[in-house]
Amino acid sequence: MFKQPFTKWTMIFFVAIFFSNNAFAESDPTKWPVVKEAFFNKRDISDAPFIKLTAPHRAESGAQVPIEIFIDKPQSDADAIKNIYLIVDANPIPLVATYHIKDMIGKFRLATRIRMEMDSYVRAIGETEDGKLVMASIEIRAAGGCGGNVDNNDEAAIRASAGKIKLNVNEPIQLGETNSATFIIKHPMRTGLQRDLVSQGYVPAFYIQKAIFTYNSTPIMVVDFGVATSEDPYLRFDFVPSNNGILEVNATDNEGKNFSKQLELKI
Amino acid sequence: MLKHFILLCASFLYIITSEASTFEIKELDSGVYVHNGLHEDISEDYHGDICNLSFIVGNKGIAVIDTGGSYHTGARFLEAIRQVSTLPILYVINTHVHPDHIFGNKAFTKENPIFVGHYLLPDSMELRKESYLRSNKEWLGDDFNGSEIVKPGLTVKTTLELDLGDRTLTLTAYPTAHSNTDLTVVDSKTNTLFTGDLLFVDRTPSIDGDIKGWISVIDEMSNGTFKQVVPGHGPTQTNYQQAIKNEKNYLTTLLKDIRASIKKGETMESTMDTAAESEKGKWLLFEIVNRRNVNNIYHSLEWE
Repeated sequence: MFKQPFTKWTMIFFVAIFFSNNAFAESDPTKWPVVKEAFFNKRDISDAPFIKLTAPHRAESGAQVPIEIFIDKPQSDADAIKNIYLIVDANPIPLVATYHIKDMIGKFRLATRIRMEMDSYVRAIGETEDGKLVMASIEIRAAGGCGGNVDNNDEAAIRASAGKIKLNVNEPIQLGETNSATFIIKHPMRTGLQRDLVSQGYVPAFYIQKAIFTYNSTPIMVVDFGVATSEDPYLRFDFVPSNNGILEVNATDNEGKNFSKQLELKI
Repeated sequence: MLKHFILLCASFLYIITSEASTFEIKELDSGVYVHNGLHEDISEDYHGDICNLSFIVGNKGIAVIDTGGSYHTGARFLEAIRQVSTLPILYVINTHVHPDHIFGNKAFTKENPIFVGHYLLPDSMELRKESYLRSNKEWLGDDFNGSEIVKPGLTVKTTLELDLGDRTLTLTAYPTAHSNTDLTVVDSKTNTLFTGDLLFVDRTPSIDGDIKGWISVIDEMSNGTFKQVVPGHGPTQTNYQQAIKNEKNYLTTLLKDIRASIKKGETMESTMDTAAESEKGKWLLFEIVNRRNVNNIYHSLEWE
């Protein structure tokens, strides 16, 4: 039945498209000027065709929307991007994370998973060393991702597992070439906006705030997380190690707890 | 342009005829009635009538099982019930928290029934309320008018019996499976099991709970001996063992494929394209629901 190309419901869908402005809320372009003002004040932002965002047009789950940022420009360039701000216009807290690009990155490529409460423009704003801002944006349709995991009430278990880290680099490791590292940290990433039915208030924010990645003690990337980064924060990023060595991550949550993990790369 | 105009006229005709059509109810067995919802995805081409809505008439009164995705659907369902019986509606049972099953509740409040659900249902409704109201309003537009969250006054932690006079309903609450609030109903007189969304027939099972929990619940369910089984979505089954087997095949294949992807270091995005591919063609709405399932459960399986 559903495979017929022209069903009753397809027709109704067409009618709705023709005659309704409200039935399907689209991403709201009017939010950006407000968000822009809040984060970047009066600074100019130009378009950045060399920043590519990849994400589903329609997210299957607002709680874990996969998105990849790729800067098609070597980090060795004089005007390379040093900081990337990832922003969801329509989220109650729009800043997903800030990625500070340090050393050994080659070309910046990072995939993560984000929360989206409703249809929105998602933007990567790049900042150069001298404070010039550039931007790429993408429209993603999504719903209801900011509630967090409301069903797990076992606080002791959540706290006990929070901060566990998985750190991997795809085999085979190639020195002097681009390698792909994956970092996942177990954490509920509570937004501070989730309701607490017992106290009638809100569940306090509880999230990973920062992760510093180093290779042989040299910083390669520093990430400041916001609560629009999904539960169990996930990062997959490219880096270019030139020697054998130790990839290390040091993460901190907003309560000041530290979590770290090391991975030895050896050929 | 002319083509568009013809398309529009045809569409209006369809809308008019679909609105005028009756809300179909089948008598499945003595005093057991079911309305089968349509297999639409729950997103933009959704009209608030996709799951099975049932009612059971005893000599003291009626129990309703699920009320549809909007006040509008609930009201049409109530009207259809009243064509069959004028007895009081004693109970309105929600099989779980999902919006396609609960938003018709409001249409029944004027009948003063006792609303019944899983013991976690009131809190779960409250926590999802804001998001459900917004997205369902967006999907259904004016058809969602009048819809409200109505929470159960009577909840079930393990099992509960409801007396309808000449028949008893046994309600059983489950740990997290399809959702965190799954509840089944068995009618003693006809030995009919109403599974809620613990069983999907034809339509791809959707996961908003715990896939491993769900597999163990359906294993338990397959031990029962029922005359017939009304699933949450899809036609009533007399040979329900096959339906349970189909669902178990899908869930175990999905779980196995995701675990294999994680082990191989494949990304969630690529796993959404490949997991449970061997089940494609066996289920309706597979492309949409299967990808959503992977998206929903992948990150928790990374920590096994």
